[in-house]
Amino acid sequence: MIYLPIAEMPVNVLLVLLVSGAVGFMSGLVGVGGGFIMTPSLIFLGIPAPVAVATGASQIAATSFSGVLSQTRRKAVDWRMGILLSIGGMLGSASGVWLFERLLRIGQLDLIISLLYLLLLACVGGLMLAEGVAVMRGRSTPGVSILRRPARTIAHTLPFRMRFPRSGLYISVIPPLGLGFIIGALAAIMGIGGGFILIPAMIYLLRMPTNVVIGTSLFQVLVIASLIVVMQSTATQTVDLVLAALLMLGGVIGAQLGVRLGAGLKSEHLRALLGALLLAASAKFLFDLVIRPVEPYVLGGGLL
Amino acid sequence: MALALLCATPAAAQQQPGDVANDLPAAVAEEQITVSSDYRGSFVTVFGVNPDRRGRGDIVVVVRGPTQPARVMRKRQVFGLYMNGDAVRFREAPSFFAVLSNRPLRQIASAESIWRYQLDPAASAQLSSAVPAGADPSAYRAALVRLRREQGLYQEYSGRALPERRGGLTLYQGGLFRAVVRLPANAPIAQYHADTYLFRDGRLVSSQRVPITISRVGFERRIHDLATQHSFIYGLLTVLLALAAGWVAALIFRRT
Repeated sequence: MIYLPIAEMPVNVLLVLLVSGAVGFMSGLVGVGGGFIMTPSLIFLGIPAPVAVATGASQIAATSFSGVLSQTRRKAVDWRMGILLSIGGMLGSASGVWLFERLLRIGQLDLIISLLYLLLLACVGGLMLAEGVAVMRGRSTPGVSILRRPARTIAHTLPFRMRFPRSGLYISVIPPLGLGFIIGALAAIMGIGGGFILIPAMIYLLRMPTNVVIGTSLFQVLVIASLIVVMQSTATQTVDLVLAALLMLGGVIGAQLGVRLGAGLKSEHLRALLGALLLAASAKFLFDLVIRPVEPYVLGGGLL
Repeated sequence: MALALLCATPAAAQQQPGDVANDLPAAVAEEQITVSSDYRGSFVTVFGVNPDRRGRGDIVVVVRGPTQPARVMRKRQVFGLYMNGDAVRFREAPSFFAVLSNRPLRQIASAESIWRYQLDPAASAQLSSAVPAGADPSAYRAALVRLRREQGLYQEYSGRALPERRGGLTLYQGGLFRAVVRLPANAPIAQYHADTYLFRDGRLVSSQRVPITISRVGFERRIHDLATQHSFIYGLLTVLLALAAGWVAALIFRRT
């Protein structure tokens, strides 16, 4: 047991390491960021939601930085696009932190977080399950590179166009800024990195080549997560350094083991399993919202 | 515990109403409670002596945390979803409240005294906003007490501490009394007070207030001070820690 100085509660060190290790393991195995599993897990452990969201961002910063380092060596980061996405993300996360505080004040933060997680987990879980089942049945799913047609999207027709040499694109700056904004706002409110929304959007909306997508999205996630840590530290003082250190340690070790083990395993089974798990979690959020609560009264947030 | 009641003769009720003395000798065993990284809550032990030589009267001990504003919301159904209704505000409510007595409080003090001396958590919560139309203010007050009681922040005990309970008050020979209550780890870190009251025939005769200080020490204190007083530097430090962890992880990945 160790006492968390900001969450003001004792937690079991082994339990936190185990949970963060398991989340890191899964993200290493399946190749997802893991912020959207980590934050609900922390809330489930009894960590107050604001602390879980703000502290989770520091762990996302750690994992995305190690990802950016290895992607940079492969020259798989479009810096110009990354910076543009980050500018949008900074504005988005600033609005997100502001909205977070407003919602906390009017007492609807938990409702919004529940609804967003409900939608997010259902979508991601459904997609993963469908993909995993399709592959297991022997049908080859169309690969991401096949889907990427040289079609023109809205990104090509809007004004303020700019050249992105690394991605080989000449597109408007408005979609990357807007995309960054949305991801930044979601990241601040939900405690997620947002890579799993960002990556499909970059491929299908911006038509970026797949080899730079992961590195560039990791760069944006790193910038946004770092910014959120600093902003939450100053605005709401909900970042717990001790908890953050535990999450980083567990997450890093777990991710390593996951990557090593995942190399020799069929990932579609795991994807289907994780997808089913996420659907179940989403159903739990739904039930909590529609079932008549046993205790109709709730205490207001601990911050205000 | 009916003994104390039998001993309390009407002859003792000669004092003027409202004439409350401060001659109750009471002390707290844990005047300083320190919170370090292995903190898992603490016990608070209040002991003292009933100044009455024959041990007449009843003892009530209240351990109070600082008062803070509180909000209670009632869930209501909107489009099939349960969401929080309008918040009912309490101007102040104790952040921690434990009341211990040698026998049930209602038998010791009148409802009026309980309210006046704030001997139960509901009496200490001051409503400050209007409740939603058609709602009952006392339901919100009761909900506040019930929810805080579930968190271990509000506790009520009468009689001696038993192994299965987390607190109690025991009377000993010669008027000595001892009250023990468990302070959970989620109780706020602040300045507390232990108030001891001596009741006789339902009237307050004497009272005494003893401070209890709960404070962070060592590493916990440094982290908390940094987070609250230099929050920007604290945020940067957390990011640097994250970057260092990520860098080390990338190094290990590269090697394998």
